[in-house]
Amino acid sequence: MSAAMRNPAAKPETADGPVVAVRDLRAWYRLRLFGVDREVKAVDGITFEVRKDEIYGLAGESSSGKSTLVKTIAGAMRPPLEIVGGEIQFSFMDGTMGLNRAPADLVERVRWRHLSYVMQGSMSVLNPVRRIGTSFFDFAFRHMGLDKAGFEAAVVAHLARVNLPASVLKAYPHELSGGMRQRVTIALATICRPQFIIADEPTTALDVVVQKDVLAMFRSIQREMASSVLFVTHDMGVHAHLTDRLGIMYAGRLVEEARTPDVFARPRHPYTRHLIHSLPRIGDDRPRSGLEGTPPSLANPPSGCRFHPRCAFATERCRVEVPPMEQVAPDHRVACFEKDRVEATP
Amino acid sequence: MTGALLELDSVSKTFTRGGLFSRTQVEAVIDVSFRLEAAKPEIFSIIGESGSGKSTLARIILALQTPTRGVARFKGRDLATLRDGADRHAFMAAVQPVFQNPFEAFNPLKRLDRYLYATCQRFAGAKTETAMQEGADKALRQVGLSLAEVKGRYPHELSGGQLQRVAIARALASGPSLLIADEPVSMVDASLRASIVNLFRKLRDELGLSIIYITHDLATAYSISDRIIIMQKGQVVESGDARTILADPKHPYSRTLKESVLEPLAPGERPLFAR
Repeated sequence: MSAAMRNPAAKPETADGPVVAVRDLRAWYRLRLFGVDREVKAVDGITFEVRKDEIYGLAGESSSGKSTLVKTIAGAMRPPLEIVGGEIQFSFMDGTMGLNRAPADLVERVRWRHLSYVMQGSMSVLNPVRRIGTSFFDFAFRHMGLDKAGFEAAVVAHLARVNLPASVLKAYPHELSGGMRQRVTIALATICRPQFIIADEPTTALDVVVQKDVLAMFRSIQREMASSVLFVTHDMGVHAHLTDRLGIMYAGRLVEEARTPDVFARPRHPYTRHLIHSLPRIGDDRPRSGLEGTPPSLANPPSGCRFHPRCAFATERCRVEVPPMEQVAPDHRVACFEKDRVEATP
Repeated sequence: MTGALLELDSVSKTFTRGGLFSRTQVEAVIDVSFRLEAAKPEIFSIIGESGSGKSTLARIILALQTPTRGVARFKGRDLATLRDGADRHAFMAAVQPVFQNPFEAFNPLKRLDRYLYATCQRFAGAKTETAMQEGADKALRQVGLSLAEVKGRYPHELSGGQLQRVAIARALASGPSLLIADEPVSMVDASLRASIVNLFRKLRDELGLSIIYITHDLATAYSISDRIIIMQKGQVVESGDARTILADPKHPYSRTLKESVLEPLAPGERPLFAR
């Protein structure tokens, strides 16, 4: 990767296109039991792409569908979850369905080599009865094409990047602290230098001080390898400091997407606006208000714009029509009929 | 009533780990003292990372654990002398906990109104069904819900924010004077967090309830606390007025903690992990 590409002044669009492009993806949980059909539309018409060499943040609350989206992209779907429509295209493989309909041997080759996954609970990712070194061997050996000695040297060198001593290879997961374990899982996910990394709440279980170190390390690894990252967390503070672009999900749909500073400075969707204004800050005594109403049920979502029952700007049109995602500025898309009114309101 | 509601006098708690040959001592809480006045209800925050001893301290205040050294007193009564029976019963009515994860705090197979009825029956002296329902409704109204919304519902039917409100209502049903809230908002969605935080403030002002708020989140602690203590490895490293301390922490650990808080950026501020 050339230095120019990492320069923030350079155009973010690179000639080689996005690493992953998701188009109108719909993934539903479908249950048919005793003649009763139940559909939970957890991902319902999502379009976005993750560009080369960027951290794309995905924010949303519990049951907004972000984990389902991640599972669908990673090809880790189990019934009753199924793809109902749409496309997932990776730059490193053919086909428009991503890993979901790909033959098993191709999935085997692509996973971890080109696409890897950092999960939330490091204790449940690492096998508790295998030493860390063995886990590295399990995950990465066949993808690296090295002999045993070469592989071990590569692992040790890579561990140094995440500030871990070689001695952790002999340790069992329970012998390490939470921060060290999370660094091990990040090292595991990045050792094959994949083009695309999915990180699902990787620092949520960590203490604030440790979280800061792990995030700084995560960014430096990403920068060095010029990978693309889909970074999922509900913590807006993490998004503000880490991600390049940010997508906000609400009830299975993307409602706003922009460069991260723009999301915080000029939110145009009422939900994003509320989310940002309700964050407490040290040194700021203005009262904060919680969102009224209840989070929508994905089994029976509100008609039209799914945010309308809780929205102060809602009109009759919002109750009936689904607002399309529209470009309002360079790299800024919003799905709201009242976006101009939202922006004009202080 | 005058005097202290809760008084901790150099409380320490040591746990012994290991067997006959390799015995190690873990000092979870070391020499902690503070005092909540009965006449002045306040929100008192205990801030610290995991392993700093804040949950052990909460267990001592709830009289679930006795301190190894020092004395914890509630309304002048040494908590170590509480025995099962009437004393403990009265104490439990006066000091109630709210836990971190409302989804784990409630049995998924048990209807939510049952918890409220049981608390009313046991601690508020409600004898008849009507009295239990009245007590439950009163407690739920204090948190902005009503019995009609909760009656017959199971935990999975409510959102995290609502469920945490029910947990707070359950704690209020016994008519307590002190609430111990251990990380009450960390499992609640960001957009609903503010409403729980505002609710605590309302309970303090309207019901005269003192609340001990245990958290690692400095931003919410700043927005609601009157006083805070910051703990590190069992010891209190800084204590006092919340605004003064968080505006300008003196102890190096408090400073590290404050610097590690990731807040949305002010205009012109650079992200910590910029490319």
